[in-house]
Amino acid sequence: MDKKNILIFWFLFTSFLGLILIYVAALNLQPVKIEVSQITSELIGRSVLTSGKIVQKTPNSAGHLFLMISDDKSKIQVPIFASLMNDLKKNNITENDFKINKLISVNGLVGEYRGQLQILPRKVSDINLK
Amino acid sequence: MFLEILLFSILGICVGTITGLIPGFHINTLIPFIMGMTFLFASPYYLTAFIVSLTVTWIFISYIPSVFLGAPQEDTSLAVLPGHRLLLEGRGYEAIKLTIIGGMGSLMITLILVSIFSTDFSNFYDMLRPYIQYLIAIVVLFMIASEKRLRKILSAVLIILLSGFFGIITLSSSLVPSENVFFPMLTGMFGLSTIIISMKGKSKIPTQKEDSNLNISKVDLLKSILLGSVAGTLIGGETRSFLVSLSGIRVAHEVVSLLSLYIIQTPRSGASIAIQKILPELAFYDVVLMIGVICFASGIAVLITMFLGKRIPKLLAKLNYKYLCLSVIIFMLIMIFLMTGVYGLLIVFTSTSIGLLCAHLGIKKSHCMGCLLIPSILIFSGLNGVVLSILGI
Repeated sequence: MDKKNILIFWFLFTSFLGLILIYVAALNLQPVKIEVSQITSELIGRSVLTSGKIVQKTPNSAGHLFLMISDDKSKIQVPIFASLMNDLKKNNITENDFKINKLISVNGLVGEYRGQLQILPRKVSDINLK
Repeated sequence: MFLEILLFSILGICVGTITGLIPGFHINTLIPFIMGMTFLFASPYYLTAFIVSLTVTWIFISYIPSVFLGAPQEDTSLAVLPGHRLLLEGRGYEAIKLTIIGGMGSLMITLILVSIFSTDFSNFYDMLRPYIQYLIAIVVLFMIASEKRLRKILSAVLIILLSGFFGIITLSSSLVPSENVFFPMLTGMFGLSTIIISMKGKSKIPTQKEDSNLNISKVDLLKSILLGSVAGTLIGGETRSFLVSLSGIRVAHEVVSLLSLYIIQTPRSGASIAIQKILPELAFYDVVLMIGVICFASGIAVLITMFLGKRIPKLLAKLNYKYLCLSVIIFMLIMIFLMTGVYGLLIVFTSTSIGLLCAHLGIKKSHCMGCLLIPSILIFSGLNGVVLSILGI
């Protein structure tokens, strides 16, 4: 094997090693806790943890539930899709548990829908009603 | 009022010059700090003038560390390689001049376009948004196809997948604060890997030529200013045209981001988010003020960039190239550690490895942009959450 190929294999190995280490670190890291008012479009695609009061609740015929949460300074939408709602039901959390003015903590990805920022929770543990 | 605005614009230019010269420093790191000091500004217009002039100056000046030290920002990363190539040919000053011409040309065209079509931008944005992922995917396919030979095409796919996966896990995790994450990501891929390779051969930066010649035809220069980011990424071949295009894209992006508050009522950058907080109800004359400050600051920033672009390479040419490269590498690693901690070092180790792998496979460095292109495709297509759920992040 010539020197060029050895270098290619070496850098391939170090690239994979780095990726594995970053992946393991990302798996074990808690998301950043942030206030609702600090969530901006700069954070789109990133995982955040935020909390606030439920100020609006809009159920949907398809089984989705759209919440609006607020920290008094700002508001953000939290869509809970039907698949997650079903998982929540299995854990004895139903639509009725999401009461107006109730405190909620949400962990999810920051996204944008029709120009509005939102946080997308993906699993049961991403939602914590207080 | 006019004198005060002028004064705060000049202050912004001074701060923009200093921050632009710091390798890897992003303006978004400074904006929250400025927003905490609003009490120092008697009027929101002074603060707006300060932020706008600071941002515009920083864009021009930050090409100096990108070209001469290989320290990129998220949008200067592709300029490192061609800029460094010209530096090693003794044409570092020409590289800086090309970025200035690209930036100023694009600034004028952008301002004209915004003035004419400002009312249509909102509709255009709404119309285009659902299809952005397809446009990016086409760019990726063209990038791969541009390699022509099968072995290189396969290598390009490997690099795009590796850097794409790297981008997905790095950008979506909380390993590094979001405002600093691009520093270790892009410094490794485009900066450190380039410096490490160029260290092998050269022992000295050649004496830099300061003539006013630009080795690019007027037609190519004009075409490069007009070309968009898609074409810029795809062409990648002709060093000079590429630098002009890239600088043009960057300036156009920042100017449109600043004016997006008025055009589409949505902030698109750290500076525009800050301005939205300072001036929540942006009126037509506020935009006129911003355009005035942009023109004033860019004019002064160009003069400063040319002045520094002439002197800094002269200084670098006196130093031993290998020692200079080693010092830059050590300095970058210290900066990355201070700004992003141990995880930043892990990210820069991985990104440098991918950059070196790309260079040894003999394919274009632009494939490393997969670290931004692949996550963008996922975000715009709404698949980001699904992929991250599969990965368990």
